[in-house]
Amino acid sequence: MTAGMDLASAPLDTPLTLMSVGGAVTSRQRLATLGLREGASFRLLTRTIGGGRIVLVAGSRIALSRDLVRQLRAQAA
Amino acid sequence: MSESTRLRLSAPTATVPLPAKACCHTSPQHTAGSEAPVVALVGAPNTGKSTLFNALTGSRVTMGNWPGTTVEVSRGVWRTTSATSTCHGENCTCDHDEGPLAITLLDLPGAYSLDAHSPDEQLTRGLLQDGPVGERPDLCVITVDASRLAHGLYLASQLRELDTRVVVAVTMSDIASQRGVTVDTARLSRELGCPVVATDPRRRTGMVALATAVRTTLADPVPDPRPTPITDDALVLDDDRFTWLSGAADSATVTPSNDRFTLSDKADRWVTAPVAGPLLFLAVMWTVFQLTTTVAAPLQDGLDRLFSGPVSAAVTHLLTLVHLHGTWVEGLLVNGLVAGVGMLLTFVPLMALMFLLLALLEDSGYLARAAVVTDRLMRTMGLPGRAFLPLVVGFGCNVPAISATRILPDARQRLLTVLLVPFTSCSARLTVFVMLGTVFFGKYAGTAVFGMYVASVALVVLIGLSLRRTLWRTMGSEPLIIDLPAYHVPTLRLTGAVVWQRLRGFLRTASGIIVATVCAVWLLQSIPTTAGQTFGDVPVADSVYGVVARTISPAFAPAGFGQWQTASALIVGFVAKEAVISSWAQTYATEQPQPGQAGLLGDHIRAAFEQSSGGHPLPAVLAFMVFLLAYTPCVATLAAQRREVGLRWTLFGVGLQLATAWLLAVAVFQIGRLFW
Repeated sequence: MTAGMDLASAPLDTPLTLMSVGGAVTSRQRLATLGLREGASFRLLTRTIGGGRIVLVAGSRIALSRDLVRQLRAQAA
Repeated sequence: MSESTRLRLSAPTATVPLPAKACCHTSPQHTAGSEAPVVALVGAPNTGKSTLFNALTGSRVTMGNWPGTTVEVSRGVWRTTSATSTCHGENCTCDHDEGPLAITLLDLPGAYSLDAHSPDEQLTRGLLQDGPVGERPDLCVITVDASRLAHGLYLASQLRELDTRVVVAVTMSDIASQRGVTVDTARLSRELGCPVVATDPRRRTGMVALATAVRTTLADPVPDPRPTPITDDALVLDDDRFTWLSGAADSATVTPSNDRFTLSDKADRWVTAPVAGPLLFLAVMWTVFQLTTTVAAPLQDGLDRLFSGPVSAAVTHLLTLVHLHGTWVEGLLVNGLVAGVGMLLTFVPLMALMFLLLALLEDSGYLARAAVVTDRLMRTMGLPGRAFLPLVVGFGCNVPAISATRILPDARQRLLTVLLVPFTSCSARLTVFVMLGTVFFGKYAGTAVFGMYVASVALVVLIGLSLRRTLWRTMGSEPLIIDLPAYHVPTLRLTGAVVWQRLRGFLRTASGIIVATVCAVWLLQSIPTTAGQTFGDVPVADSVYGVVARTISPAFAPAGFGQWQTASALIVGFVAKEAVISSWAQTYATEQPQPGQAGLLGDHIRAAFEQSSGGHPLPAVLAFMVFLLAYTPCVATLAAQRREVGLRWTLFGVGLQLATAWLLAVAVFQIGRLFW
């Protein structure tokens, strides 16, 4: 099991490092092209309706739904 | 580039007018000749690609602060010079002695990569990677957002692996500055191994520098592709690309030590919040709905009065002068052409207002946030959150709602939404509901009308679920991943261009079908079926129209409204729901009632439903209202559907609506008459 926490449990406004990305291949590829891949540094900006998050990564603000948030694991940078 | 490829790219989106201040960088033509180099504009969505295309060619491609604005390939001519001066319309200082070079410029759909996750990205990949080398563009200009450089460079890394020339145009420098980000374009150019030019398409700066870079690169041989690991493992290749692009971005970018918490971020805390987000969204939608139904209404009424009054009178007067008064020519011109054009033009204020509001929502960046707010609800039907907007717009008018489905980047989601929009109860149906509610339900009229809106929402959800679980079973429900654009203050020029482009598209597509259908109805009402009557001067009951209505009316007998007068109103309602009441008035030869009053016409209609339902008028009229709600809204909606999804799916939609309407109407009447 990968160490760290899923993004649903991760704190807001804290530098994080992405440890692993689960989910479908297409989602993983899409996230990677947006800069969210293993080892990427990012922060969670906002908790959105439905349990999603807005992620700040490499200058981009990416909104993710709850199901996806639970498939990403991170640890404090 | 071969002609076949040019055709595959689709026709230009519009006839390109010269801008008010034409200069050497603009052209009214779409192609620069078969020998001209072909340059493709590519880049991630919302990086200013279409804005740059318009700045370079003077075209009017739809632009917006929304991913997926470019839904087809546009083509224009970019007349370049290699001058280092700037060009500002009438103050143009370009050095024409250097010899202008006309370039065919293609605006490709936004793509984050060449991995082709959406139809738009597939198109981009097909042109840049999968097609024969000889048919690919001679050069690719990649637009990259300066405020998030690494984000746009993935596509650059893939293109640098191909045998193609690449120039990077860095955009959005103003937003980058606000965020404390600066980009060293010279350093980035060295790292990427291709020219990098800073541009601002919104303010049209950096255009000549870009032209110079493109011309210089075109004159050079195709550079060697970037070396990559020899492997079939996509993950290894991806790692290599990210290492390469991260190195390039990091070395060429100066960023604040800690990303700033911007005003956009603060706004997003409220706009996408669990309680405030939906409340704001409902307020915005209510405002859109109110503005389109209340502000446009007086303008529509004014145009309607203009065409049915002075314009018709003027045409009649002219025909009198040439001794054609009272003839079929007068009928064709006044009741056919003038009425048809009048009906078309009454849509213009509504459409313009709707397009304006949509453009403002798009350009401001709110639409992306609205998609986040509504995502979970819409996902139950397999649709993304952003599909909520066209459905809400549909409650005002289905026609702009169909056009609004263009905000959906996925073709299948767009198609499903286009098929659902006609089930939203537009304001034209409201007039009939109010009239029938007043006649049959008295003080409960408001409840009856409200019930139709509830039924409309239920229909959208149920039909959506049914289609999702049958025809759209294979449509995946991908999790929400949406790249939020920065909030912008909408600019007048961009908003105006978007509104005009969409309005012109609607008029060009819808005008023919609306005018033709109105003329066809007039023709059917003018052709007598019995001897002794003349063309153009025949009671409706004795016309071909009346005969057709009598022929189809038995089909409605199981629903309790099998009288030919009612069936004829439904035929007219197929053209436009606004015409249902006037059709009854014409058929029964009475005055139209005032709003909220039943009048003599109400007595006729009540008697008709009483008779056709066998003494159960209430379930019969409810069945009629349900039929009116579910069947085809109007020909203008059909025209818009045909434009968006083609004839085949439009006909499928008509069949779906008619079948749903008939089955529901029969069910309502047959069950209702057991109790009433």
